[in-house]
Amino acid sequence: MSVRRRGGGWSLTGWIFLVFLLLYAALPMVWMLITSVQSQFAAIQYPPEFIPSNPTLEQYARLLSPSSEIGGQFLRYMWNSIYVSTLTTIFGVGVAVPAAYAFSRFRFPGRNALFFSVLFRNMFPAVVFLMPLFIMMRWFGLVNTHASLVITYLTFGLPLSIWLLKGFYDNIPVELEQAARIDGCTRFQAFWMIVMPLSTPGIIATAIFSFITAWNEYVYALTFLNSDEKLTLPVGLQRFFTEYATNWPGLMAASFIMSVPVVVMFLVLQKYFVRALTEGAVKA
Amino acid sequence: MNDTVANGPEPDSARPAGRRPRPGLLARIWAGRWDYMYIAPALIVMLLVIAYPIYYTVVLSFFKTPPSLAMSDRIFVGMDNYVNLLKSKSFHQVTINTFVWTVWSTFFAVVLGFGAALVLNREFIGRGILRGVLLIPYVISAVAASYVWRWIYHSDFGVLGSILFRMGFIEDKLNLLDNVDRVLPALIVVNVWKEFPFAMIMILAGLQTVPEQLLRAARVDGASPLNQFIHVTLPHLKGVLIITILLLFVANLNHFTIPWIMTGGGPAGASDIWITQIYQIAFGRIRFGIASAYSVILFIVMVVIGYFYVKALTAGDDRRRPS
Repeated sequence: MSVRRRGGGWSLTGWIFLVFLLLYAALPMVWMLITSVQSQFAAIQYPPEFIPSNPTLEQYARLLSPSSEIGGQFLRYMWNSIYVSTLTTIFGVGVAVPAAYAFSRFRFPGRNALFFSVLFRNMFPAVVFLMPLFIMMRWFGLVNTHASLVITYLTFGLPLSIWLLKGFYDNIPVELEQAARIDGCTRFQAFWMIVMPLSTPGIIATAIFSFITAWNEYVYALTFLNSDEKLTLPVGLQRFFTEYATNWPGLMAASFIMSVPVVVMFLVLQKYFVRALTEGAVKA
Repeated sequence: MNDTVANGPEPDSARPAGRRPRPGLLARIWAGRWDYMYIAPALIVMLLVIAYPIYYTVVLSFFKTPPSLAMSDRIFVGMDNYVNLLKSKSFHQVTINTFVWTVWSTFFAVVLGFGAALVLNREFIGRGILRGVLLIPYVISAVAASYVWRWIYHSDFGVLGSILFRMGFIEDKLNLLDNVDRVLPALIVVNVWKEFPFAMIMILAGLQTVPEQLLRAARVDGASPLNQFIHVTLPHLKGVLIITILLLFVANLNHFTIPWIMTGGGPAGASDIWITQIYQIAFGRIRFGIASAYSVILFIVMVVIGYFYVKALTAGDDRRRPS
């Protein structure tokens, strides 16, 4: 990490650019929030109200109350999303940790080929896999189950998880393990008792990344799931839109609730997340 | 390891021998057998969910598949799917759309991301908060983002149309998503909104590895800020820029959610790109054979890009970590 340049001569163009960027990035989300606290009637006024005269939490109350029809549906979608994302994260990290460690530490034939096949996965379009996976899921009787999503997300998250974790393992000095080996640890013990605790930040970063990716995933959920009680939030949101087409405040409230977990997770753990994104491309 | 010594260049001749120049391949695999245990779970999952589907897609692309998807009834048609596809008029239109969408999305995301990274590379109060706010579009769900923008673009009640009308830029209602000429640019704006934070964070990470001494040396030698940027910062960022551009290019080529939710490829196919078209053929018209042929073409394009991607990645790897 180098010392950053001091701010100082901020040119006018710099300021204009900054303001433009901020408006571009933030206003759509602000508008989502504003619309979500309007009544349905107020939302379709022309010209629109920029500050709601009668803000109401009615949409949120409806979406989050288990007794109302929409609320029951919405909470079910949310639960499905939590369930699928959590399982994906747990299995994903469980599989990625040993693989990343092996890629970082061991020299075995095929190591490079394997590693690049792992990276290469990043390049393949989801839709290429959609049809064969759909047919395979039918063979295994997994269509319309959450297992189909967990397996798919797990696999598609793996290359990045392994790549990211390997970066963390590369930064842990081998000498620590060697010392442990000398003190009588087996190789697995050295891995489990020395390396694992040290790589906790890496594991957290990987876990958040898997969770957010699974939470937001749309196209596989759209294809593999068909019954209403199985849908995850992104697909459920679409179902909402077709059923309650004119209820924009409701849709915006649902979008907002859906965004809250990932945005909170991201803001709290921003440091790790940024590292997750840039690790690998920018090795210092 | 003494117990796994093999001999000679032929990997399969595991004769026990006295001298040990270099163990054979099989011997080295055997020696590393416990190492493979660590990657076995990853390997098995990836083979099942990635390698087999690729193979299966290629196979399907030579068949006409029944709508029931009972694969025992499929009919071998040779290259017909490819020929029909490449000859069809829609393929050309969709290819042009894909090109426009991918190139412009990538271009604007990188330009905006670069600018944002330069701003964030200075120290000022609220820098961390600003970075957080700018990154939010990247983390929220593309589905939610698509609906928000659809609402903003709404031709009757959309906030964008209303603002532009009041400021006098437009005379009538703003019609973006139903207009053949404007729909693709409108979608690109949404996509850039979602993606520029990624470019920003990558380039920012790259900027922070530019050694301060080099910049100071350039300053002492009398280089203007512009020259410092061109001759010190930019060469340093080359690797990061290439990887960012490649990753975004691929992501855009494969982007499904925004066009699918916002327009579904319409109006009149004006915002149809390869991915949405493949999905439509496969799961709308249930023609897996043609869609597979389409996928294979896309796949070949990806492999070519992937080659450059790996090359760019490994170039950095060799240079920085000689051990």
